[in-house]
Amino acid sequence: MGLIGQPTDNVLLGKLNDLIAWGRKYSLWPTPFATACCGIEYMSVMTARNDLGRFGAERQSFSPRQADLMIVIGTICLKARPVLLKVWEQMPEPKWCISMGACASSGGMFDVYSVCQGVDEFIPVDVFIPGCPPRPEMFLHALVLLQEQIQGKQGVAHERRMFIRREVQQGVNAEWQSKQAEEIVRQQQGQA
Amino acid sequence: MTKRSDRELLREQESAKYRWESTSPEMGMYDEAAQSDQMILNLGPYHPAMHGVLHNIVTLEGEKIVSVEPHIGYLHRAFEKLGEHYTYHQFLNCTDRMNYVSSPMNNIGWLVAVEAMMGIEVPKRAQYIRTIFNEMSRIMDHLVSMGILGVDCGAFTGFLWYFEERERLYTLLEKHCGARLTTTLGRIGGLKDDVLPDFVDDVRDFVKRFSKTWVDFDTVLTRNRIFMDRVQDVGAIDAETALSYGYTGPNLRATGVSYDVRKTNPYMCYDEFDFDVPVGEKGDTWDRYTVRVREMLESLKIIDQAIENLPEGPYCIEDPQIRLPEKKDTYTSMESMIHHFKLIMHGVPVPAGEFYHSTEAANGELGFFIVSDGGEGPYRVHVRRPCFYYYSSIAELLQGASLSDAIATISSLNVIAGELDC
Amino acid sequence: MAVEIPKPKHGFRREMSFLERLYLPAIFKGLRVTIKHFFGHRWTIEYPDVIPEAAPRFRGLHVLKRDEEGRERCTACLLCMYVCPANAIHIEPALATPEDQDQYTEEKYAKVFDINMLRCIFCGMCEEACPCGSIYLTTDYETADNDIDHFIYGKDRLMEPEGSPLWFKE
Repeated sequence: MGLIGQPTDNVLLGKLNDLIAWGRKYSLWPTPFATACCGIEYMSVMTARNDLGRFGAERQSFSPRQADLMIVIGTICLKARPVLLKVWEQMPEPKWCISMGACASSGGMFDVYSVCQGVDEFIPVDVFIPGCPPRPEMFLHALVLLQEQIQGKQGVAHERRMFIRREVQQGVNAEWQSKQAEEIVRQQQGQA
Repeated sequence: MTKRSDRELLREQESAKYRWESTSPEMGMYDEAAQSDQMILNLGPYHPAMHGVLHNIVTLEGEKIVSVEPHIGYLHRAFEKLGEHYTYHQFLNCTDRMNYVSSPMNNIGWLVAVEAMMGIEVPKRAQYIRTIFNEMSRIMDHLVSMGILGVDCGAFTGFLWYFEERERLYTLLEKHCGARLTTTLGRIGGLKDDVLPDFVDDVRDFVKRFSKTWVDFDTVLTRNRIFMDRVQDVGAIDAETALSYGYTGPNLRATGVSYDVRKTNPYMCYDEFDFDVPVGEKGDTWDRYTVRVREMLESLKIIDQAIENLPEGPYCIEDPQIRLPEKKDTYTSMESMIHHFKLIMHGVPVPAGEFYHSTEAANGELGFFIVSDGGEGPYRVHVRRPCFYYYSSIAELLQGASLSDAIATISSLNVIAGELDC
Repeated sequence: MAVEIPKPKHGFRREMSFLERLYLPAIFKGLRVTIKHFFGHRWTIEYPDVIPEAAPRFRGLHVLKRDEEGRERCTACLLCMYVCPANAIHIEPALATPEDQDQYTEEKYAKVFDINMLRCIFCGMCEEACPCGSIYLTTDYETADNDIDHFIYGKDRLMEPEGSPLWFKE
């Protein structure tokens, strides 16, 4: 079983990996570490309008030992940091982490003595969600991104995001585009 | 997946770095308790029944609580310190995040305080719209707090219905103010934007729908014996003790003291509306529940009256020293441009001095004490947040109660961590 | 009063009637109301398939606008940087040379315009403070990302394409 989860050339094991990843991504058990404002928006993610159950993640696990997704929701102060770390350490592998909201991701507007400037300082975060607080749809978008990451592919959610930004990018910055073109030429020359 | 092994490495490094922080300072307590029959239980900071990061160290003897030691500071975000660095307008963002269950109300409380300090008169229309949003956020707050009380007592269904109404309020706020939760809807002297033309219809729809949901929730929960047995005579506090702790708001009214800042010291235009102040008898969890649930109806009454008599007129004061000029004028006229720059850089003219003003927030009396030296921002801000006073009385409230009652009591006090630690 | 506000039936009465003491009638009454809700409206959104539109006033991702001739409106006055409560905006002003003057409205322009979207709290104060209608908050909200380095939005991602419709928020 030690091979499972490792990249492999073996066809059988590779397929098994895909199957396990597929099972994992549709049965995430989140443990919400809710501290502040974003917790109220997370409540709204759980309730009827946004229904987390559609993504197979409706089983809110308040015990970290039976969970594989940690959602850090809201400001983490220096006093709450060891608590968060303890909860994270209790979770069994494989585990993932979503940091919801500006405060959890970077400290947000609270650049003060008592607030931890982003939980990625001490736990590995897979998906960041900006916004103060983010809309429930933004959380669902992050969840879809995470599911795609668990499967090891970049799928619809990633493409849609790229599409939205491409609309803004198109033809915007002649400087940037010419730089890209130069780089391609340079690469081709290097290869030649 | 090679990424996992990197993560493991990182985790080990970081956990070694912070391990010394994880050891609890109260280790001696556990040894003492082990020698007697008592047991020490940490309720929180990460506990499914604690709303937000509240921490209570509970000493138990069997099921009975011997003593409670409440801890605060898990969500200390230094609002008061930030206030010293912000202008009066920027501090609005802090007030949004204080009591995040009803953020428009905190905004309005701050604005009313600053306006009273400056001694300016806000147009009638702005005051009416503010009143409507104020009462809406009071409903929003009680929806969550009482819905959660139901959840803590085992009734999940009503919470889902209540939250649906809350979602409708979110949609309304998003449509007219631009954000779901942290609206930043007001500016000193009025509102940021005027509401859209279909505001009246939206609010009427809401009032109509909410009346129905209220009746449904009431039918399902209020007279259910299981719920009544869970909350009656639980966590009672008498009026004298409550006053000595500094209780205000619904929790004080539950004990039988009819104190409401909207009645005793009317601000904005609350003296023009007809509404009652529900008052309880014993001050237990049942009274707190009933007072809050009935307050929602009083808020509905106020919204209904305000929306029927919504006056026309400007939504913000017409003073170039206080109000930002129209965007069109800023682009074209030099004078407006100068006012614009001056207002953004130097802020509104607030006289030097000390000032205290309080409003009736959803949880109680929310007061702002402002010291100004005449600069662009406050020299010092102190917030009188109601939750702090409720939470300090928890040790006395829970003495002798059973553990399951403690959960219902803390839930009914509606302590919001963001406001508590400020 | 336009809408009839319901009157609380029971008030603060603590005593239970005989029926209430029996447990069961209350449960059946509750079940009746619950079952009534089965046949109500559909309320759940279908997010990944159908993306709900945010309200026009919603404050989402920022965009930097151009004027009718396709020039950048931003003149690097730094008001948005000054007013931002989260210090999320970083601007480096520069002077335009005569050759590229046709790209900018004034002789001063923003050489670097970065917004840290993770710091940003979307309060809309930059939009309010901008004296030349350059920075606006759009209704775009799908911004989650796996990589923390992607959240510094530079000018290449903030500036709108040339030839976009002219647009002012009221």
